[in-house]
Amino acid sequence: MTVGAGAGFAGDRVDQAVKLASSGRCDAVVLECLAERTLVQGLEERRSDPDRGYDTRLRRRLAPLLPAAVEHGCAIVSNLGSANPLGAADAVVQLSRELDLGHVRTAVVTGDDILDRVDEVLWDTPLGQGELLGAHVYLGAEVIGQAVAQGADLVLTGRVADASLFVGALAPIVDSNDARAGATVVGHLLECAGQVTGGNYQPPGGNRHVSAQGLAELGYPLATVETDGSAVIWKLRGTGGRIDRLTCTLQLLYEVHDPAAYVTPDVTVDFTDISMDQVDVDRIRVSGAKAVAVPEALKVIGFLRQPGVVTDLEISYTGIGALERARLGGEVLQRRLEPVSEVLRLQTDIVGVDSVLRGASLPLLAEPPEVRLHASAVCADGETALAVEDEVYALTLSGPAGGCGIRCERRDPIEVVSGKIGRQHIDAQLHWVAAGR
Amino acid sequence: MRVGDIAVGRAGDKGPMLDLSIVAVDRAAYEVLHDILTERRVAAAFEGLADGPVVRYAIPKLNALKFVLPEAMPGGVYMSGHAGLHWQKGAISVLMDMELP
Repeated sequence: MTVGAGAGFAGDRVDQAVKLASSGRCDAVVLECLAERTLVQGLEERRSDPDRGYDTRLRRRLAPLLPAAVEHGCAIVSNLGSANPLGAADAVVQLSRELDLGHVRTAVVTGDDILDRVDEVLWDTPLGQGELLGAHVYLGAEVIGQAVAQGADLVLTGRVADASLFVGALAPIVDSNDARAGATVVGHLLECAGQVTGGNYQPPGGNRHVSAQGLAELGYPLATVETDGSAVIWKLRGTGGRIDRLTCTLQLLYEVHDPAAYVTPDVTVDFTDISMDQVDVDRIRVSGAKAVAVPEALKVIGFLRQPGVVTDLEISYTGIGALERARLGGEVLQRRLEPVSEVLRLQTDIVGVDSVLRGASLPLLAEPPEVRLHASAVCADGETALAVEDEVYALTLSGPAGGCGIRCERRDPIEVVSGKIGRQHIDAQLHWVAAGR
Repeated sequence: MRVGDIAVGRAGDKGPMLDLSIVAVDRAAYEVLHDILTERRVAAAFEGLADGPVVRYAIPKLNALKFVLPEAMPGGVYMSGHAGLHWQKGAISVLMDMELP
């Protein structure tokens, strides 16, 4: 059975999924589109309109993909449902009518939203202050698998473990714990789409063999999976990027924490005995995943909206002495805002010098021709954020010479908290969307 | 010679945890990195950026090492005061640019 990865995050490229579905080589295309931040946006949208809260890019993504998938008999599995999977299904009904596709057999998985059951959650650290915007359990592959086995054209979910989307899509060939472990590895290798085919990847020693054309036409990955859980990871001919032992191993280990115990709702997997064999150009055979256990408890993620506002600002300085003037500007901000008790935290640094790696940045070898002063402030309220923003703007007239190109962005301080809940408290459900609505 | 000459790497996160992976180009490179990239040395390289301990996992069959910094990102990525979001993806260069003796 062959699955493809058509998206690795909410804003990922749209055209590659269409290419995979149109190739006629895929039994299913999986679109992983739901990050923590995206889910918070969905929750906020759902709060202002109960019909919304599903992925805002649903139409943009599915309008080109659905016709291709229906034509080639390729199922689609996706967490585009975000905070409102049933609402997403309604949007698909509307879209397939507009596209004149006939009835798209659409299944919806619910049960991840457990805000009404947070008393059953054992949080990793006690919840501090802040308003709990939502709590979601990471569901596994089981219900997705039922939908796929019953012939779904499209399965829409909310919060599901990313790898489980793939395990669900592969359900017809997954019937042992080791096969489940193998399918989980496939899911983990594919869930970030282009990251396993040469995206976000620097070859050893430099970028000599990386081209803009290759990255612009980066092929998204497919996996042909056997019943024993082994698989070949590959990409369509003529696409950019690469698949080799290094790209696959790097993605295998990405964000797994303990490689001997990669925990998913379906199975805990030991990665340490996995083999990666190059069987052809851009083809890696992966085998040796071991099922360790099936976890008793499921992971929960919660979003705590902290009081206040974060404002993030930048201002440029140019020419000889740019860095010195930018640092001076930062010091002026610190002096101006130090007496304001409603500014709870103010950090300043220099984009181009130390804004990402702070004290671990490489030493500066030459004077940069231009830099940006960056300031980030956690403020008690919006009025205070405005005061901070105005202080940055005031640097243009009352600060060091030549401040320009100011950009400002506000965001809510949202703390992501995690915990566990016993399986017995979770009720994942399958819904079929009625035809002819 | 730097780590990035004989290995590839990628950074990610999970809640407050910074999660770094490196894969050596071959067994000899792995042995070198295994000896040099101790938890203590990696923690020292991250001084001024990320606080707290470093936990290392070795995966010899894959010529790979993982470094997890459980307290590197208090409150998770969205509480960070760095410029823009998801700064942690760039943290891999701290490892890749470490000089090898």
